[in-house]
Amino acid sequence: MADIVFRNVTKRYGNTLAVDDASFTVNDNEFFCFFGPPLSGKSTILRLVLGLEVPDEGEILIGGKPVNSVSPAERNVAMVFQNLALFPHMSSRDNVRFPLVERKVADAEIEKRLADVAQKLHIGHILHKPPAQLSGGERQRVAIARALVRDPAAYLMDDPISALDARLREETRVELKRIQRELGKTLIYVTHDQEEAMSVADRMAILENGRIRQIGAPAEIYDRPASAYVARMLGSPMMNILPSVRGANGIEAAEGTIRIADARAPAEAIEIGLRPEDLKVRPWTDSGTAEARPARVFEVEPLGGYTVVTIEAGQARLRALLRGQPDVRPDAMVAISCDPGRVHYFGQDGGAL
Amino acid sequence: MSAIHLKNLTKTFGDFAALKTMDLEIADGEFMALLGPSGCGKSTTMNMIAGMEEPSSGKILFGERDMAGVPMGRRGVGFVFQNYAIFTHMTVRQNLAYGPRMRGAAKVEIDRRVGAIAEMLQLSPLLDRKADRLSVNILQRVAIGRSAIMEPAIFLLDEPLSNVDAAFRAVMRTELKQLQRQFRQTMVYVTHDQLEAMTMADRIAVMDHGVLQQVGTPLEVYNNPANVFVARFIGAPGMNLLKGRPAESDRGLVIDLGPLGVTPPLPDELASSVRAVRNDVLYGFRPEQVALADRGLSMPATFVERIGARTIVHLGEGESAVKAVFENDVGLSVGQTAVVAPPASSVRVFDAATGLAVRAG
Repeated sequence: MADIVFRNVTKRYGNTLAVDDASFTVNDNEFFCFFGPPLSGKSTILRLVLGLEVPDEGEILIGGKPVNSVSPAERNVAMVFQNLALFPHMSSRDNVRFPLVERKVADAEIEKRLADVAQKLHIGHILHKPPAQLSGGERQRVAIARALVRDPAAYLMDDPISALDARLREETRVELKRIQRELGKTLIYVTHDQEEAMSVADRMAILENGRIRQIGAPAEIYDRPASAYVARMLGSPMMNILPSVRGANGIEAAEGTIRIADARAPAEAIEIGLRPEDLKVRPWTDSGTAEARPARVFEVEPLGGYTVVTIEAGQARLRALLRGQPDVRPDAMVAISCDPGRVHYFGQDGGAL
Repeated sequence: MSAIHLKNLTKTFGDFAALKTMDLEIADGEFMALLGPSGCGKSTTMNMIAGMEEPSSGKILFGERDMAGVPMGRRGVGFVFQNYAIFTHMTVRQNLAYGPRMRGAAKVEIDRRVGAIAEMLQLSPLLDRKADRLSVNILQRVAIGRSAIMEPAIFLLDEPLSNVDAAFRAVMRTELKQLQRQFRQTMVYVTHDQLEAMTMADRIAVMDHGVLQQVGTPLEVYNNPANVFVARFIGAPGMNLLKGRPAESDRGLVIDLGPLGVTPPLPDELASSVRAVRNDVLYGFRPEQVALADRGLSMPATFVERIGARTIVHLGEGESAVKAVFENDVGLSVGQTAVVAPPASSVRVFDAATGLAVRAG
């Protein structure tokens, strides 16, 4: 069992709160992502799990045992670093063997574990090559193999594929997920790429200034963000968040260019959140009903499979994500609408209602 | 005139051909993105336009004027690089004013221009801050402002957003586009990020291994890729390409997709061109254009990625693997079999031997 538990863990560097009262459980065999902007505490949490840092307050348990006073070497968690630090002068085989040789494991045992890990990671055919002769994806797999050969209870990765180009990242994240599934090990993963986090994570934690703002499955967090902060962190383009008022016909925002007929809208809502893909945009026709006021198309960005339309709605600029290549042009007058069931409401403190 | 003409341009470093015979016309006031993976020759091309490197052969003209032998400082170009160049001991205001001041502009004029550029780049509240106290995001904005304030006729940017964070990148994309609209410079923008190229550029020059693969508007390169490289590189995910063999049937020309056991028909306007190929072909379609169907490619889902607004479903394995992008309510999970078909009008065909697109006749 390698569940990892933080109970009210706080870590300070001088006056800076790097991790602020963090409590969470990473379950055995779970692919768990930490996601947040730079300096939000992601890397400090990894260092606390590894034992490179000691909490100022709170308790860390690995596999049910308190580890606050257990040295990094005895924790049986392995780290794959950001830069995939492989020894350039060694073959891939020697790189993978290294952690075992260093621990004076018997040769026969080393060979057995090497064969096992090589098979799982599909690297048998490249073990004779030095890192310089490997592709980015292959280096990645060798680095993971080196972390796994110790047979750790859990392994940690700090933005391991950020150096790869976009196409390779898309492929490698799928590969990482497959590997983790097949190995059946607990994996704690830090990334700054929201697509990557949403693609691979069973669950994820969203961080802000050392505090955990929400924990859940990526789809759950995306569909039901706990706060305006979290809502902005996931989704591209970002969620449109606008001050809202209660009008005669429901909720209004952006000077009446958005009207939501939602009788159940919470009275204490001060902002509404609209995902770009939930906005419906159609040409304005003055039908003389209680419809929303017209808004003007500011910019149209075709992405091929999707089109991002930026709309000037009163003082606000909204982004709508439309499927395909619709014929929308700048300066066109449009009506914006959104299914009331898709609207997010936020209160005074930024919390979701 | 600040049109840029590249004629038979090449660059070799020893035995290595960084750029192989590039011909490209960039119109006055055009926003051209040079897009490709690392090592494709995009930065080499830009460095030659800037005058930082000499072409091995070929010509660069700005309007009618041949740039051979014209030093960097005399070309009238502004640049911004991935790693910003900022005087950290100066304030933002002093950094922005530096260029005009060196040119001997009057104080009133400098103040006016600094004010205008600061407003456009949202630097007004930061004008009196020392540059060494600013974030990477803001410094890159100052770097862009420092170049833009000179109002160069040609503005060259080499991966200017690759070191700034994702949220800021989205903001800067809009600002750069606005900047170019206002000043109407000719903009050459080097990037490996197709999102930047697609959202900002009037046209994109897609490059790979020192060879210009295709030039076109963002939708031209997405909708009608000239070859297999462009088809795979543009799009997220890239185009699905399945090996197939043209075959005659009572439904007209079809593509026999071999082990997949289906023979989708081709639209009439493509059929005659494909008949002329006489090779095996690649049957291509975009993941976003795949729809669930009663008949079509029947494949098991091997991986499902729910990424925000969309769900990417990986279907099949090995050479017959395809990806499909669906709405989040698609309700497919790993192990389930999906039957998918692209609409005939969205099918693209490539010659398997040459990799070139087969165009409708």
